[in-house]
Parts: sequence; C-alpha cells; structure tokens
Amino acid sequence: MDTLALLVLLTPLAGFIVNALFGRLLPRRIVGWIGAGSIGLAFVLALLALSQVLGGHRLDQTYFTWWQSADFNVPFNLYLDQLSTLMILVITGVGFLIHVYSIGYMREDPGYSRFFAYMNLFVFTMLLLVLSGNLLWLIIGWAGVGLSSYLLIGFWFERTSAVFAARKAFVMNTIGDVGMVFAAFLIFLNLRVLDYQGLFSRVHQLPKGGGVITAICLLLLLGAVAKSAQLPLHTWLPDAMEGPTPVSALIHAATMVTAGVYLVARMHLLYDWAPTAAATVAVIGGVTALYAATIGTAQIDIKRILAYSTMSQIGYMFLAVGIGAYTAGMFHFMTHAFFKALLFLAAGNVIHAFHEDQDIRHMGNLRAGLPITFWTFLIGTLSISGFPLLAGFFSKDEIIRGALSAAGGEYVLGILALITAGLTAFYMFRLFIVAFGWEWLAHDDRHLHEALPVQTIPIVILAAGAVVGGYIPVASFLSPVFGQPAEVGTLAFWGLAGLTLAASAVGFAVAYVLYARRPELAVAWRTRLGPIFTLVEHKYYVDELYDRVFVRPCLALARFLNDIVEPRVIDGAVNGIADFFLLEAREFRLIQTGRVSSYALWTLGGAIGIVLVVAGFLGYLPVRLGG
Amino acid sequence: MVVGFAIVAAWEIVTAAGVVGFRKPIYNALSLVANMLGLAVLFLMLNAQFLFAAQLIVYAGAVMVLFVFIIALINPESDVALPRRGTEWIYGAVFGVIFAALLVTLLFNRGLTGRPGTLTPEAIAAVGNVQTVGVALYTKFLFPVEVTSLLLLIAAVGAVYLAMRRVR
Amino acid sequence: MPVPAYSFLLLSGVLFTMGAVGFLIRRNPLVVFMCIELMLNAVNLAFVAISRYLNSLDGVIFAFLVITVAAAEVVVGIAIIVQVYRAGRPMDVDDLDLMKE
Repeated sequence: MDTLALLVLLTPLAGFIVNALFGRLLPRRIVGWIGAGSIGLAFVLALLALSQVLGGHRLDQTYFTWWQSADFNVPFNLYLDQLSTLMILVITGVGFLIHVYSIGYMREDPGYSRFFAYMNLFVFTMLLLVLSGNLLWLIIGWAGVGLSSYLLIGFWFERTSAVFAARKAFVMNTIGDVGMVFAAFLIFLNLRVLDYQGLFSRVHQLPKGGGVITAICLLLLLGAVAKSAQLPLHTWLPDAMEGPTPVSALIHAATMVTAGVYLVARMHLLYDWAPTAAATVAVIGGVTALYAATIGTAQIDIKRILAYSTMSQIGYMFLAVGIGAYTAGMFHFMTHAFFKALLFLAAGNVIHAFHEDQDIRHMGNLRAGLPITFWTFLIGTLSISGFPLLAGFFSKDEIIRGALSAAGGEYVLGILALITAGLTAFYMFRLFIVAFGWEWLAHDDRHLHEALPVQTIPIVILAAGAVVGGYIPVASFLSPVFGQPAEVGTLAFWGLAGLTLAASAVGFAVAYVLYARRPELAVAWRTRLGPIFTLVEHKYYVDELYDRVFVRPCLALARFLNDIVEPRVIDGAVNGIADFFLLEAREFRLIQTGRVSSYALWTLGGAIGIVLVVAGFLGYLPVRLGG
Repeated sequence: MVVGFAIVAAWEIVTAAGVVGFRKPIYNALSLVANMLGLAVLFLMLNAQFLFAAQLIVYAGAVMVLFVFIIALINPESDVALPRRGTEWIYGAVFGVIFAALLVTLLFNRGLTGRPGTLTPEAIAAVGNVQTVGVALYTKFLFPVEVTSLLLLIAAVGAVYLAMRRVR
Repeated sequence: MPVPAYSFLLLSGVLFTMGAVGFLIRRNPLVVFMCIELMLNAVNLAFVAISRYLNSLDGVIFAFLVITVAAAEVVVGIAIIVQVYRAGRPMDVDDLDLMKE
C-alpha cells in the first residue's frame, strides 16, 4: 500500500518531467497521451488504493526524514485514509477526463507540450497536498498548486490581461500562504509536532476554544480563503478565467479551489476544538455563496458566470465544514467536481465553436449545431440547480439540511443557503437559456460544429457522474474519519428536501419566464433595479475598493522606495562609504611627499604615539589606560 | 666611577652636537667617530667588553671609515648654504621639546621594572665575557643570528647591484 | 654600582633626541645618515645599560645585532647616495622626492 500511494504521487510527476524536458521534441499525439496517460495511470492506482482502503487499511507511512534539527522533525510521509482516497480519486479521475479533453481542445495551440507539462505538475502538487501526512508538506503542495495555477492562468503570456490575472491570483494566494505558515509556527510552538498523527493526538492539550487554537484555525482559514476564493480574497477567481478552459475546469472548479475545503476537513479535529473559528468558516462560506450567486445573475461572459458559480458552491462547502457537517461538504465537493468540470468543458466547446467569443448574448440556439454539448450542459445545469434525483440535489440538500436542523444559530446560514439555491437555479438557467437556447432552429447559418469525440466523450462521462453521483455512498465511506452524520427525523428530512426543491423551482421558473418567454420583462426589470443592478454587475465594486485601498498605496510606496529611497538612501549609504574612504585616501596620499624629512617626521610622530600608549598601559601617565 | 661617567657623558653630548651641527660633512663624520669611541668606553663601564671591542672594530673602524671615504670621494657641499625652507625646523624643535618631556618623565621613574636575570658581572667573569656572549649567540639567539647573516648577504648583493647600475 | 641606571638611560635619551632633531633638520643625505647612526648608537647604549642592571646578556646580544644591521644598512644607503651623486642630482633630501605620489 505504501508503494501504491507513492506511485500515485509520482506518475504525474513523471509525466511532467517527460513533457517538460522532451515535449518539444516529441510528436503531439505522444505528448498528449503521456500527459493524459500519466493521470489515467494514477487514477487506476488510486482505484487500487481504494480497494485497500475499503478493506479497512489506512496508511501513515514515513519514507524518509526530510528535515531534522533538535526536536523539529519533519518526515516525508504520506497519509492515506478515506478522506484522502476520496480526494485522489476525484483529482485523478476528473483530472484524467479533463486531460483527455485537452488533447482535443488545445490541439491548435503552439504551447501544447508546455500545457500538458504544467497540468501534470499541477496534479502532482495537488496530490502532494492531499496525500501529505504532515502540515509542512501540505504547505509545500499548497505552494506548488499556487505555482501551477499561476503558470496556467498566464499560459497565454502574450496577453497582458492573462499575465495580470496570473499575478493577481498569485499575490492573493501568497497572503493565504502567510497565514498557513504562521499557523504552522503556532502549532509547532505549542505542540512541537507537525505531522498529523502527532498533531491529532495532541490537539486536546490546548484549551478548548482558547486563543491559541482559535488563532491557529483562523490562520489556516486565511490560507483556505485565499486558495478557495472566498470573501474577502476572492477577486482573483473571475480573472483566472483568462486561462484556457480546461485549466478553469480542473484547477478553478474541480480541484485546486477545493483545497481550502480539504484543509478544514483534514483539520477537523482542530476546528471541532475551536468553535469560534469553525463558525467563522461557516459564515464566510454562507455569505460568499449568496454574494457570488447574486453577481452571477448579472454577468454576460460564460466563463465568468461559471466562475462565480464555483465561488458560490465552494461557499456551500465551507458552510458545511464550518458547521461540522464534514461529510456533507465533501459529498458536495465530489458532485460539484463532476458537474462543474462538465459545465466548463462544455462551455469550452461552445467557445471554440464561436471562435473564442465568450459573450452569451452572441450565442443561442445551439441544439442543432452542438447536440452533445447541448444535452450534457443541460444535464449539468439541472444537476447544479438541484433537480430531483440528480447528484447536485442530494449533496446540496444535505448541506441545507445540516444547516437548518442544527441546534444553534446555524439556521440563519441555512436560510442563506436556501436563497442561494434559488439564485443558483436562476442564473444557471439564465445562462443555459440565453447561451444555448430553447428553440430548435430550422436552419442554422452559423456553421457551428460539434467538438471532436476526444472532447465529447469525457463530457458525457462527467455527465453520467453528475447524474448518478448522488448515489455514491460517500457518507458511509467517510464515516471512519468524521463519524456518522447527524440524523434527522423523517418529517424534517422530507420537509427540508421539499424546501430546497421549492427554492430551485422558483429560480428556474423566474429564469424561464424572463429569458425564454418574455425577454422584454428582463429588460424592464433591469432598468427598474437600475443602480442595484449596476452594483451587482460590477461585483459590488470590490475590485475597485481593493485597488484604492491596497494596490495604489502599495504602488505608491514602491515608487517612493524606488525613486527616492533607493538612489538616495541606500545607494547614498553605499556610495557614501566608498566616497568616505576615497576622501580619506586622497588626504592620506598627501603624506607621500617623497621627501625623507617628512617621512621621518611622521615616523617619529608615530613612535612618540606608541611610546605614550605603552606608557599609558604601564601606568606611567596620569591618564588610566588599559587594565 | 661617577666622575668618569660624568666626563664621558659630557664628551658624548658635545660630540653629538657636533654630528648634528657642523656645516662641513667631514666634521660631522669625525664627530661621529669620536662619539662612538666614547660609547665604547661606556660599554666598557657597563661590563660589556665584547661589545666594546665590536663597537670599535665594526662600527668605528669599518662603518665610519666607509663614511669618511665616501665624503672624501664625493665631497658634497654643506647644505646649510642652500636656501632653507622655513617650516621643517619648527617640527624639529617641537619634537625636541616632546622628547625632552619624555626624558623628564624618565627622571621621575627611576626604577627598572624588568625581572633581574642570573648573569651578574661576577658570574660572567667566571666564564669570560666573550664566551658567555658566544654561547648565548649560538643557542638562545641562533635564529636572529642566522637571519642577520642572511640580511648581510642581501645587503651586499644589493650594494653591488646598485653600484653596477649605469647611471642615465 | 654607584652610577644609577637611569643616568645611562637619560644619556641615551638625550643622544637619541639630538639624533632625531638632526635627522629632521639637516638636508645633506650623508649627514642625515650619520644622525641615524647616532640614534642607533643611543639605543644600543640603552640596551646595554639595562642588560647590565638586570644581570642579563640579552641586551648586549641585541645591541650586537643592531650593529650588524646598521652596517648592512649603511652599505646600501651609501650605495644609493653614490648613485644619486653620479646622476648629477643635488645632494638634498628635500629634492629627492621621486617616490612622491
């Protein structure tokens, strides 16, 4: 089992190395299949690991000691339990499908091999993050996925907007990284361990709900918020859509952005022990979910809508793990990976068909031209909106149920979640209706053609997942880690399910009326809501706010340092020292007169000086010199 | 003994003034010879017979002879006739004063603070001055002796080289 | 020993001072050299005096080595001065400033 885990980790690394070093020299087909194949191989190995884990095996294997000084002992160990198995299955499984899709999607791109190299690098670092058995290696994986995200967002580096977006993502991620590292400091300071085994056994030494543990959890939360694009470190995610669509699908929908959720779930013992921090997690999740959903209703770029949708759904996951419903959160993670990846990939097909135009108002009536894409996207939309019996319904419902049935004030969050569910259905169907169209065109002049099979087959597989994913027994699978989820009475169960359904139905209905039946009503409402609409459309002006408050002062400071401090103070000091010596040397040079008599003078003067000093030390002078 | 010392001391000071003061270099040289003779006598008073001989033979007899020969050969002019630059003698005066001050402090610290050794004049006389010096030279001070001989070699070579240079 | 040590040292100091003053003031290189010799001699006197009064021979030995080194130095110095003379330059230390920066 230990070799299995190691191999799962290393196959994507091998793919990365091969494609990075030799990708330019190999033919395209090989590059693509190496890139996808390594992930596929990892998936198979992950399945094997699954069979072992189902048999009750867990793994906490140290392969070597990586860093040791005094009692700071950090091994390189891998930790494979049900939670990490779930993660690696989703990462490698969905990842594999996305890689296969990319073989077709990126086929015309000159940076083909670079793309696959970066993607494999990403999967490797993500697996490292998830499989790591101690906090330090998790942070290393965390930084690694941040790097891969930067490389992939800025993949088309000739585009300024892409470069800025990549930089923005990286900077915000770094803020989170600082939090993570400080959390690690605090943990080590108080508990002297960083590996999970030791950490989990020693957590209870700290006072429950005390300052230390709350600080640790909040710092970890900072990292999670940055990585998962939750409020307030969320502004990078919509910009990250500058990257190629498979990147958005894999990194910014299915996996990397869920790393924050994984972190909280993995550290659940810590969060159980710091209720304030856990509550913060839930509140951030709930608020972000609603916030992002409102913005999504006003966007016109297909990828942006999906990005805000991702933000919102991750908010759901944060809500879940914040209130202690870890299983629900991870369940939603899995179903979300299915339908979000599906939605993004299908959107990719549409974007390619419209020659990189992403404005949904230019689309419409795609049923004839892109049939497979049309139907799969519909399935995805239904799933995310919570259509009964599809995957999204089950997972979303579980979260809302957990929130509304909880003992304390979590029901407020539950209400937020319900409203968000309605909004989700609304904006998703708005997207579908406007972009894909409800009519069947008799005859289409636009010459749209469906994507290659290598692109459509993965989408279909994902669609299947979006349908039946809800039946995978995630809760019982994860029970060894999180315990059994709380039970509710049958009445509550069905009642809450009905509520969720009702919310989604309302959302769907409004979208249908406004966009399919009476588009003029949509326009009317927009003008009615005037300023509110503008506010939402501009994402509540958060970007502008950050720009004013953080970016501009920072740039001003940088300019100040560069123009004033650097030349005057620092160079001044350095040059000043040099000048001082130069000056001195110039003065002292004048001693070299070449005349014996003046040399004699100086020598004598020096001799007298020495005599005086020695006399002083020996005590012959009135002045006390030396000891 | 004290009287003898006083006479020789007076002789020393007078001849030293002569070395510094005379206009013609040949007189300076002869004053220096006289000074060295006086010094040799002082060494004798201090029970350093070997050094007395060495001083006479080497210093007064060889070095000063060289000096006198060169002066006779070159016959340089006195430098007092040359236009004097004003400032240097001030420095000399100042230093003189400082040194005088140091010497005065010497007057007030009359003791010698070193650790007395074992070789009293009687002990030395028992063995013989030259023998004692010789033994010390070749045992305790062997290294300085070897180095000094090397130095002499270098000086000789240097002098020959310098003398052989064609003057432009 | 009726003559106290410090008298010899005092004499040595006086001789040294006179040599130093002459060394600074005189401009004929040969005379300057002789002043140097005077200073060396004064130092020798001090060495021997202390050596005698501390019942040791170390000072005597050192003075002997000083004599040797002085001899070597005189040789080289005279050679330089002769070269200067043969080059036709004035015998004035203040003029011999070729080693000036």
